[in-house]
Amino acid sequence: MLVLQAIIDGILVGGFYALMAGGLTLVFGVMEIVNFAQGIMVVLGAYLSYALFSHLSIDPFLSLVITMPGMFLIGVAVYWSMIKPIKQDRVIMSLLVMFAVGTIAEGILDLVFTSNLVQISTPYVNNSFTIGSLIFPDIYVYAFLMSVVLLAGVYYLLYRTRFGRSLRASMQNPTAARLVGINTDWVSAYTLGIGVAMAAAGGMVFGLTNSFDAASSYDLISRLLAIVIFGGFGSLSGALIASVLMLVIQDVVAVVWSPTWGQTTFYVILILILLVRPQGLLGRKAVRAQ
Amino acid sequence: MLALAAAACGSSPSSSGTSHGPITIGVSVSLSGDFSGDGLATKQGYETWAAYQNAHGGILGRKIQIDFLSDGSSPTQVVTNYQKLITVNHVNFVMGPYSTLLTKPSSVIANRYGYVMIEGIGGGPSVFQQGLHNVFDVSASAKYQLITFAKWLVATHKPEDVAYASMTDPFLQPMLDGARAYLSAHGFTSVVYKLYPLETTDYTPIASAIAASKAPVVVLGTMPPDGYAFIQDFIQDKYNPKVLIEASGPDQGTAFVKAVGANNTGGIMVPNTWYPGSTFYQNSAMVALYLKMFGGTANDISADVAEAFSAGQVLTQAVDHLKSTSNSALEHYLHSNVTFQTVQGPVKFLPDGENEAATPFVFQWQKGTLVDVLPAGAGHPVPILAVKPVWGAGG
Amino acid sequence: MTAIDVTPKGAAAPEHIPYEPPRQIRWTSTGLLLAFLAVFPLLFPNPAVTSIAVITMIFLVAAIGWNIFSGYSGYISIGHAAYYGIGQYTVALLALHAKVPAGWDTFGLLPVAGLVSAVAAVPIGFVVLRVRRHTFIILTVAVMFILQLLAFNLVSWTNGSGGLEMSFPTWQGSYFNEPFYYVGLVAAIVACAASWWVRRSKYGLGLLSIRDDEDRARGLGINATRTKLIAYAISAFFVGVAGGLYAPFIGSVYPQFGFDPTFDLAIAVLVFVGGIGTLSGPVIGALLLIPLQQYFYLQFGNANLYLIAYGVLFILILRLLPAGIAPSVTQLWRRALIARRRAAARSPAVPALAGQSPAGQSPAGQSPAAQSPAGGLPGAPPATAAVPHAGGDEVAR
Repeated sequence: MLVLQAIIDGILVGGFYALMAGGLTLVFGVMEIVNFAQGIMVVLGAYLSYALFSHLSIDPFLSLVITMPGMFLIGVAVYWSMIKPIKQDRVIMSLLVMFAVGTIAEGILDLVFTSNLVQISTPYVNNSFTIGSLIFPDIYVYAFLMSVVLLAGVYYLLYRTRFGRSLRASMQNPTAARLVGINTDWVSAYTLGIGVAMAAAGGMVFGLTNSFDAASSYDLISRLLAIVIFGGFGSLSGALIASVLMLVIQDVVAVVWSPTWGQTTFYVILILILLVRPQGLLGRKAVRAQ
Repeated sequence: MLALAAAACGSSPSSSGTSHGPITIGVSVSLSGDFSGDGLATKQGYETWAAYQNAHGGILGRKIQIDFLSDGSSPTQVVTNYQKLITVNHVNFVMGPYSTLLTKPSSVIANRYGYVMIEGIGGGPSVFQQGLHNVFDVSASAKYQLITFAKWLVATHKPEDVAYASMTDPFLQPMLDGARAYLSAHGFTSVVYKLYPLETTDYTPIASAIAASKAPVVVLGTMPPDGYAFIQDFIQDKYNPKVLIEASGPDQGTAFVKAVGANNTGGIMVPNTWYPGSTFYQNSAMVALYLKMFGGTANDISADVAEAFSAGQVLTQAVDHLKSTSNSALEHYLHSNVTFQTVQGPVKFLPDGENEAATPFVFQWQKGTLVDVLPAGAGHPVPILAVKPVWGAGG
Repeated sequence: MTAIDVTPKGAAAPEHIPYEPPRQIRWTSTGLLLAFLAVFPLLFPNPAVTSIAVITMIFLVAAIGWNIFSGYSGYISIGHAAYYGIGQYTVALLALHAKVPAGWDTFGLLPVAGLVSAVAAVPIGFVVLRVRRHTFIILTVAVMFILQLLAFNLVSWTNGSGGLEMSFPTWQGSYFNEPFYYVGLVAAIVACAASWWVRRSKYGLGLLSIRDDEDRARGLGINATRTKLIAYAISAFFVGVAGGLYAPFIGSVYPQFGFDPTFDLAIAVLVFVGGIGTLSGPVIGALLLIPLQQYFYLQFGNANLYLIAYGVLFILILRLLPAGIAPSVTQLWRRALIARRRAAARSPAVPALAGQSPAGQSPAGQSPAAQSPAGGLPGAPPATAAVPHAGGDEVAR
């Protein structure tokens, strides 16, 4: 029963990790850019919801109506000011630039919110319901449902809209996309915006379920990168499966063995998978040579 | 590199060493990185002490000036920082940074230059095992932090099942192990013993394992984030242990109440070396001054503040007695079995630098406030709630 | 620093512009730098300064080592802290169990730390080198975290989160840092020599061809796996040595500071700033950035401002010198040289100037310039056009 509970916990928590990692993998898929600042973007999203909740008493789930468009604009602005000017070695240079952007953002967040740990504490954060002897914390269930809705929305955007077609075209062949008149710059800017907006939503849940400060971003980004690699760079569904797997593996190992080995086990499985499938679970096969 | 080196040398203040200028004190604090929250509280504690003492004649009639350097929670930086404080700023004294991890390398540096290091927040065993004679910890060291609690449990309860979990940390783990060793020697059964790394973000499986054991006693070696998370998980799991003690988290005042909900705090215990309402030496003055300087409420004040303040108090009393700023005289004097008074109670140093007079207290949330309950008697009027109320039953 | 000259030798290129400053300048500047580093602690004996100098040397050794693999092969590793940690634990465990006395004897353990790291790098490299690009980057990070978790969990070896302690030498504070500094300097020189050898050797050419196009390199008959693995092990050796020097300097080893993710980023950042894949890049990067970083920390008591300033500075460097400092400086030098020759070619009154300029000492550069037609209006513009702009990079991508 304990193991079953651990699996359920892992699936519920994995849902919103998928949201954060989805933003990362989407941006990579379109632009081949590893957004190293995604961790701090999640924390920024958490702080925004926190501020709106504690000063204006806006419910964190409702606050997404404000924070997601706001963070979308931040993403677009970061693209035009930071990524666009890069002329050569885009893959590595953009990673370094985003690292620097993350460092600056961390400094600013530290300055504004201080380094005291905070948590968004709504009245319903401690509620839960039970089915049989299994426990479902309300907050994780809400977060999971919200993640599913948002991920489905992004999926719809990608596969059912004109923008999605341009975006996927840019993903598969940027040069050809440009030839047929797609403005790949705007597609990239919007994509980074969407990726960062997903971080805003993930961050809100992170802030509801964890105490955090600006330094929390380091743990986050290393987990998110591991998820994205596991699922395959550029694959949304891969990110979802990998998030859930990561959390389930950690939680089950923590219960049947020891929490200290949970993460180690996940990393070992990650390495084993990559030995068999270097492109990750659902990554595109054609990983270009160098 | 040349220009930087020159600049580093040039920043040496000329006022150092003179007997009329301020007494300078060097401290490295962690304002970013893993310890940033506690680092800030530590800094505020030192600042409160300096402000208080300066309003009361300073030390030896001289003003206190603290030179703070930031170390980003990194031992590399802390080593550079203390060398700069000592050899460039020529501070008169140094005091400790936050955490055992940083206190250890810092105390080695201080020792190398013949400086005493009085510290309040580095009580892990490794600090005292170095064989240094210049380290003095004004707080209770790790392995004794839970001993008062363990003795109370043995005296008042029949042997029962106990669930333990702790972060792998050089301070918390020795603390938990100390309690576990004592309780096991007195017939209490350890039914769950889980260690988890600092990076853990999802505590649910550990909490579920504890809840599933139905152990009536839970002892947790936590930092604030996991301290909050465990309680939330227990509430969600509808698991009500009779006795719940956490190393850290319940001592965080309003932040704790906000995180777990005001109706759920009742009966939760935390070992501590200090609390806002204590009647120990200068405590009310410290609390008043802190609130004036940094705002908030008394319950917001972290124990780190008091620990840093205590280190300052010991320095004040020793230097005022010696009428000298000599570090070697200070070291000798601190080793001479003198008892000092601090906001955390009396301080008397063992040869290895631990505080043998420290009485680790146990505090408990009752009716929305954190009150001192143990050791019973000895000026602690509030009786302990031997059985924790169920979740939601109020503060 | 092989002068691989790919300037087209067609009619459009009447001048021969070498890709890097002439040998004399390079040797003189190297000699001056070495002399300066050798006397540095005598000039600035203050322990706060020499402490920064020791840290700089440790990062210098690690950066040169990192560059031998990541710079020359193009495989960016963000997990070399694995070997930094292995080096630290090797020295601490040996000192503890073999009862090596603190002081000079500890430095004897440095080659051992390097060797253990290099040996550990072989199986690890065998696994991680099977993937490329981003996957490789993240995999190296994963390996580093696994080792960190092992250091936390294998308590009987590592004492877990309690860390290992090293007894410290009884040297006085006034000269405590100097032995560490000079040992670090010697290690850095050895690392530089190794880097130079790799760059020059036939083996190194194979490595560089993997960076340019791995599949084609394989096609040309290069055993890519073995070539990469050797570089990976050499690089791990020097990072292990750096760790072996760090442990006794700080006096303790902890899992999170041995296997430190920020160390990985720091190394990558400073090599990129200096110029990745070049011999001088890591040296310039480490000598500039580490003191600057430590100085920032000391100056800004406020860590937030430090983070902001560091991030802004980093972006500026990336924006202004995208290839890194070393290649950019070389490129500036080339541009100045070209401009001067063009000026000399335009004004018939001072043709001798070109010969007197320091660059003119290069025999290759001298004669074509003198032969160019005086007042040669037609000759000048094509000369610039023939110089590829990105070609200033000594890497010859």
